[in-house]
Amino acid sequence: MLLSIEGVTVKFDSLIAVNNVSVNIAKGKITGLIGPNGAGKTTLVNAISGVYAPNAGKVVFDGEDITGRRGYQISKAGLARTYQVINLFEHMTVLENVLVGMHTRLKSSLTAAFFKTRAERAEEEAAREKAFELLRFVRLQDRFDNEAGSLSYGDQRRLEIIRGLASDPKMVLLDEPAAGMNPVEKDDLDAMLREIINRGVTVLMIEHDMKLMMGVADHVFVLNYGSKLAEGTPAEIQRNPDVITAYLGDD
Amino acid sequence: MLARVLVSGLVIGCIYGLIALGYSLIYRASGLMNFCQGDILTIGAFLGYTFYAMLKLPFAVAFILTIVLEIALGMLLERAVIRRLLGKKVDGTYIVLATIAVSYMLQNGAILGWGTRIFYFPPIFSVLSVRVFDINIQSEAAFCIVASVILMIVLHIFVKYTAYGTAMRASAMDAKAAKACGVDPAMTIALTWGISAAIGGLCGMLIGPVYGVFITLGAAIGRKGFAGAVIGGFGNMYGALLGGALLGIIETVTTAYVSSIYKDVVSYGLLLVFLLIKPTGIFNERAIAD
Amino acid sequence: MADKLNLKTKSVSGPTAAILLLVALAIPPFLSAINLNYGILICCFVLLYVVAVSGLDVVFGYSGQISLGHAAYFAIGAYGSIMLHKYFGVTIVFSMLIASAVATIIGIVIAYPASRLRFHFLSLSTIAFGEIVYQLVLQSPSAVTGNSLGIFTEPISFFGFKLDTYTRFYYYGLAVMVISLILKNNLINSKTGRALIAIRENAHAADGAGINVTRHKVIAFAVSTFYCAYAGAMYAHLVRFISPDTFMFRQSVLFLTMLLFGGTGSLLGPVIGAFSVTLLNEALRVAEKYQMFIYGTLMLLVIIALPGGIYGSLKRLLNRFKRKEAR
Repeated sequence: MLLSIEGVTVKFDSLIAVNNVSVNIAKGKITGLIGPNGAGKTTLVNAISGVYAPNAGKVVFDGEDITGRRGYQISKAGLARTYQVINLFEHMTVLENVLVGMHTRLKSSLTAAFFKTRAERAEEEAAREKAFELLRFVRLQDRFDNEAGSLSYGDQRRLEIIRGLASDPKMVLLDEPAAGMNPVEKDDLDAMLREIINRGVTVLMIEHDMKLMMGVADHVFVLNYGSKLAEGTPAEIQRNPDVITAYLGDD
Repeated sequence: MLARVLVSGLVIGCIYGLIALGYSLIYRASGLMNFCQGDILTIGAFLGYTFYAMLKLPFAVAFILTIVLEIALGMLLERAVIRRLLGKKVDGTYIVLATIAVSYMLQNGAILGWGTRIFYFPPIFSVLSVRVFDINIQSEAAFCIVASVILMIVLHIFVKYTAYGTAMRASAMDAKAAKACGVDPAMTIALTWGISAAIGGLCGMLIGPVYGVFITLGAAIGRKGFAGAVIGGFGNMYGALLGGALLGIIETVTTAYVSSIYKDVVSYGLLLVFLLIKPTGIFNERAIAD
Repeated sequence: MADKLNLKTKSVSGPTAAILLLVALAIPPFLSAINLNYGILICCFVLLYVVAVSGLDVVFGYSGQISLGHAAYFAIGAYGSIMLHKYFGVTIVFSMLIASAVATIIGIVIAYPASRLRFHFLSLSTIAFGEIVYQLVLQSPSAVTGNSLGIFTEPISFFGFKLDTYTRFYYYGLAVMVISLILKNNLINSKTGRALIAIRENAHAADGAGINVTRHKVIAFAVSTFYCAYAGAMYAHLVRFISPDTFMFRQSVLFLTMLLFGGTGSLLGPVIGAFSVTLLNEALRVAEKYQMFIYGTLMLLVIIALPGGIYGSLKRLLNRFKRKEAR
């Protein structure tokens, strides 16, 4: 197991947004997280990635207890993420966004930065090469010098995924990557997700697009009212009567 | 001795509290800070002096004229500077700096108008002092405290029970929703700046007769007002008053029992300590948390 | 591949830098030829202000944090260097560096808790710190610091070579300015510089990208306090006399005004800002009585009319011109 979530609970005052959820996420797979609106999916992802500290429970990533750590520490441990609402550095260039994503993998010291040592320059050069390689992966290499905010919606989503991948993570958390994409972009995302897995990166993805999710996910789990409702293969989930009721309502 | 110290601490403390209240109102209504409030106080003191001592108008008339002119000044400031900058969506620093620029204009404009000497109000009351619990208090000082308390009650009623007050609180909570309910946030904000300036002018009219009227009268009071607001809990009306009063008393006690040398260090030290350790102030006001 | 793509850098291009440097080198002989020795002094002020304002730019222009109290660090650099020289016999060059290092440590201690504060409250905390330092200097024992009367000191000397003329100081100041601009440029074009800009743009996303936001805010603050304190020490040994009224709130506002007039987040912005505001202040001396009033009015007008500063507005104008040409 790469990521185990053990009995995680998140409360906002008296509201219990995530209630005692336990999930294990297998290495090298795409795991889907679905559920009706307000089920606590993003809250769970936020609790894993350090936006909030869980009120109870444990998050273990790659054998390391990361419960309650800060966002940057979790990112450093190898867990990258994207956001439901696009969260790019809008006025920085496309290339700079990717380079910021590499932050934790660049080793030069502050002193090396001040004096532009040869090692620092070499590292920056290599970082740029790698950034371009990643940009080619999503065919954004020609836009490297544009402001990130000037890209189309779909491109911004893809850039955000690339920024996450730039830190060489063991795992990425994708929060609704297909939101706002057109069908062509969605097919593209499907291919991209498979490529990410081929690179050895595990994926946990929240997504409302069932066609995409059922096609690409190896394993799916369902949240409803903050609690885990079901988990299984996409086929099992589609047949699960509880899930169907949760989505369609009781009557 | 202690009683007299406490009274004079309360006089300046009331002024700090009122200035802090002005900051809190503006912060609640628009999320901004006004760095020329102190100079608005100075202008108020000069206007009051001009009407009362130079033009020999009755005190009440001088008082009302000053307040009206200050409301106009505050609304003009909001219209001509603040709203224009907000419309351009500039960085907050520009607005901070713009109010500092206005403060330079007010202070140095006052020099051009009134010069750099200190003016003393002629007595306002026929009785020079009142006796409370065996101590003599200068009538103007007593008036300052009484008027501050009355003003606080009036403002409380105004914010809590009038349509404007409700509109103000609504705009502060959610400008969009308020607009949907027929509240005009722009007008509310303009009025808030007007009221805040009126409070500044009133403070000038209250403290001028006690301290004398001079160019830098308001500058330090304006900055201390921030300390009062933070100590009480920025954005909280009652916190502002409590914080201001506490600060005034602490300052006066320090001056009387330690040394006047440390008076300002203590005030700004308190401001810094509160910001770094308890930024939500005594009233634990959440407006400040990130 | 990457190097062929003509990567955009934010620094000044080589030829532009060379021309600017040549002009800067020619200023003292030119001014003394037209018998304007006073002008050289003004240019010395400009140089040290460029250093201070460039430092402020790291904290404000790049990491997006406000400071209205940098006069305090200017004061610590100035008083620190004088005290170290006068009472501990430290050679002036070293006293300047030590004083700046001390200011930096103080800056770090303040910045750690202050970095949590939101914009306006950060500005209040910096104002409070500025006032505290000013009051402490003003109320200090007169035998040590000369308190409100001020204190005299000596010019900088490099192993016996004294910077006791304006021209000599000018070339020294120019060297310091160029070095500080190069170091700033290096910092900005590194992973740390990118992290600072990322924090300014979106602190939440920066945290998610693995950037320790607090640590980087503190780094930015530390760099700016060192720059400001060193500029303060330069000021002390240029004028050879300092008194508390140089280090009031007004001075902090002056730094920020220069930065905003020139343009934030750039290498040349602080240069343009320090130069134009210093010249403006000198020009306004003619109208002594109206000086501060006009200064305030101009400040307000520039804020309303040119929110990007002079550099930003020039750049926008240039871009518009280029676009027209491209058509």
